[in-house]
Amino acid sequence: MSDWGWVAFAYLVVYGSLGGYVASLVFRIRRARAEADRG
Amino acid sequence: MTKRTLEFAAAGLLLTALVVGLTVPPDAVQGDFQRIMYAHVPSAWLAYLAFGITMIGSIAYLVTSKLRWDRLAGASAEVGVVFTGLALATGMIWGKPVWGVWWTWDARLVLTAAMFFVYLAYLALRRGIDGLERRAKRSALFGIVAALQIPIVHFSVVWWRGLHQPPTILRPDDPQIDGPLLFALLMGVFAFTVVYAALVRRRMDLALIEDSLVEASRAGEDVAGAAVTAPSVGAKPR
Repeated sequence: MSDWGWVAFAYLVVYGSLGGYVASLVFRIRRARAEADRG
Repeated sequence: MTKRTLEFAAAGLLLTALVVGLTVPPDAVQGDFQRIMYAHVPSAWLAYLAFGITMIGSIAYLVTSKLRWDRLAGASAEVGVVFTGLALATGMIWGKPVWGVWWTWDARLVLTAAMFFVYLAYLALRRGIDGLERRAKRSALFGIVAALQIPIVHFSVVWWRGLHQPPTILRPDDPQIDGPLLFALLMGVFAFTVVYAALVRRRMDLALIEDSLVEASRAGEDVAGAAVTAPSVGAKPR
């Protein structure tokens, strides 16, 4: 793999993981709110 | 600052850090591989900060008994585990082309991995304890003891001779890094810190809802239990 390939791989892992964590937080909050609303 | 403002600021700074990290001149020795450090070092810094905040939240809970501090400790630990995982992953991705191996049993690497697993255990402990107060108290004790690792991880590169380089910026003499590269590094640190703050605020929102669900569930159990076990007022004793 080229130098830039390694760099792209690293940034993909970082930004992809952060994006995934944000998405998981959004879904978990939505689900918890729905559960709380159901009482 | 509202949550939305903080989140927009975090997204903007993250994008800026990405552009700066990919456009600054390459390092004289490492070339473009150095760019991975603009994500690796901020992730490692955030691990320290997040677990330090977990310790502060834990101490504050034990002093005040307010669950808000426990929620801060738990939220910060979860976000800290994400950043510690990123520090380990980016370190491995950098290590393969530069050191020739994905992993080596260097003190800094081993201690960082140990810290990662200790805080995974902390999160597992939080999920495994019934009762908000009991959970808060036990995880606070865990959170304080676990934070003893932070200085050990940081100074491991000074105390033990290994492959990992010693501190570049946080060192007694002048920082050993050129201006534009230092700017890219500090930009990453600042952006990741704002992202951390935005994530912890959202995670605390979630923790508040989860705690209210636990309390509602416990209250429901108490009422159901009372209906089954308590004799009704008008019942005749047998």
